[in-house]
Amino acid sequence: MDLIFYLLSVNEIAVIVLIVVLYFSPVIYQLILVVKESKRGNKLPLKKLLKFLWLSITILVVIVIFGITLNHTNYLSYQSPMTFDQYEEITFDDFKGLELFKKSLFGNERFAYVVTTIETELGENHAEIRALFHPSRSFVYNSKTDSKELLKHEKYHFKITELFVRKAKSEISQLNISNKKSVSSIIDRVRQQERSYQSEYDKDTYHSYILSKQKEYEREIDSLLSLFSDFKEPRIKFNDDK
Amino acid sequence: MINRLLILLFTGLSILGCGSEENEFPIDKPYWDLNDYDNIIRKLKYGYKDDEKIPSFDDPDTRIVVEKLTDQKNFRVILEDRELGLKHKSEVSRRFFDDWKNMSDIYNLRDRQDKYVYDEEMLAVWHFGLGLQALYFKLNNDEILESADDPNSTKITNLVESNVSTMISNYLAYLDEINDEDAFTKEGKSKLAEGIDRYFISLVEKNPNANFSNLKKKSELLIKKSESENIKSSLKNLIDLIDSKNSDIKKS
Repeated sequence: MDLIFYLLSVNEIAVIVLIVVLYFSPVIYQLILVVKESKRGNKLPLKKLLKFLWLSITILVVIVIFGITLNHTNYLSYQSPMTFDQYEEITFDDFKGLELFKKSLFGNERFAYVVTTIETELGENHAEIRALFHPSRSFVYNSKTDSKELLKHEKYHFKITELFVRKAKSEISQLNISNKKSVSSIIDRVRQQERSYQSEYDKDTYHSYILSKQKEYEREIDSLLSLFSDFKEPRIKFNDDK
Repeated sequence: MINRLLILLFTGLSILGCGSEENEFPIDKPYWDLNDYDNIIRKLKYGYKDDEKIPSFDDPDTRIVVEKLTDQKNFRVILEDRELGLKHKSEVSRRFFDDWKNMSDIYNLRDRQDKYVYDEEMLAVWHFGLGLQALYFKLNNDEILESADDPNSTKITNLVESNVSTMISNYLAYLDEINDEDAFTKEGKSKLAEGIDRYFISLVEKNPNANFSNLKKKSELLIKKSESENIKSSLKNLIDLIDSKNSDIKKS
C-alpha cells in the first residue's frame, strides 16, 4: 500500500479553520450575548449558548465520524474483498475507495493506492490464511484511467501480500509441533515483514517512477511466488496437535 | 465586537497563508521530475523580489533546495534506466535540457563590483548542465543511429559527429567563465576547476575520436591567463589527456 501522508498545507489548515469558525459562528454570537447580558445579571443567554454548543458539537462529531468512516471504507459503493485467485480480474474499476483528505502523492495528483491484508482463521488442527484485496478501501484518482503501469504497480502490492501469506504457510508446514500460539507468532512476524517489504517496494521503485526497479521487483516477486507455489491453497494443516 | 473578531480571524488566516512559501519546494520528494522543475524554476525566477535572497548553499534553511535543484540523480534516474525506451528517454532529456537552459540565469547575478553573488550555486547549475548534456547528446545520437537505414553511411556519421562537435562547443562556454575568474570567490574558483576535472575529462574519455583542437587551443590560452593554481592544474591535466588521446589515434 502506498504511503499516504496526511500532512496538510498551511493554506488547507487556514481553510479548515475558516470553515470551523464559520460553523461555530452562531455559538460565537451566543457567547458575545452571554458576555453582554451577564453584566446586566441576565443568565438566560448562557443556557441558550450551552444548547447551541452541544448541538453544534454533536452535528460536527457525526459529520467527522461519517467522513472518516467513508474515507476508510467506501460503504456508499461497497464491494467485498477479493481473494488472490481473482487477481487477473482486478482493474481500476475495482478501486472504489474515497479519498477525502489527500489530493496528491508527492505532488502527483494522478495517484492510486491499494489496501491488502493478511486474514487468518485458526482451527484446532489447521489454519486458513488468505491475502485479501479491499476494493472499497483502495483508491485511484480516476477509475477510467488507462495507466497500465500504475495498475500493475498497485496489483504487485497484492502479489507481495500473497507472497508473504505463502511464506507464512511454508514456515507453519516446517513446524514439528504446531499450536495456535506458535502459528500466531509466525503470522504476526510475517505481517510485519510484509509491511516492511511493501514500503521498500514503494521506496525503491518510487511508486513505479523508476521502471528498471519496478521490473526488478516484478521478476523477484514472480519468481518467489513460483517458489512457494505449493502453498497456494489457503488451508494449511498442522503437523501435530498439542 | 463581531467586526473585530472577523478582522482578527482574517488577519490570522492571511499570516498563515503567507507562511506557505517554503512548502512550494517539494523537498521530501526523492526525485524532482519535469513538472517539478517547471514549477520550481518559475518560482525561483519570478517568485522573489530583486533584493530578496534566493535559496543558496550558505543558508541552512534553503540549502536543500539548491542541492535538490542541481541533483543529477533527477535526470539520471530516467535517462540511465535500461527498461525505458530510447525515444522516451530522448524526449525527456530534451525537456530537461530546456529546463536547464531556463535555470542557467537564476544564479548569475552580480554585485556592484561585478562579483557573482551566488557563484557556487551558479557553478552547481553549470555542472548539472554539463552532466545532462553528456547524456542528452548520447541519447540523441543513439536515436539517430537506431532509426537510420544505414548507421555507417557518411550522412549519418557526419550527423553524429556534428552533434558531438555541438556538445564540445557547449562545454567551451563553461571555460569562458575562466575569463571572468575575478568574479568568483576562492571556493568558486576551486569548484570551477573541479568542473573541468570531472566533466571535461569525462567528455574526452567518452569521445576519444572527436576533434578537441578548439578545446585544447582554448585551454592553452586560458592557462596563460588564469591566476588560479587550481584552474591551471585542471587545464594542464585536460591538455595532457587530449594529447595522449591524439597520440593513441596516430599510433592506431
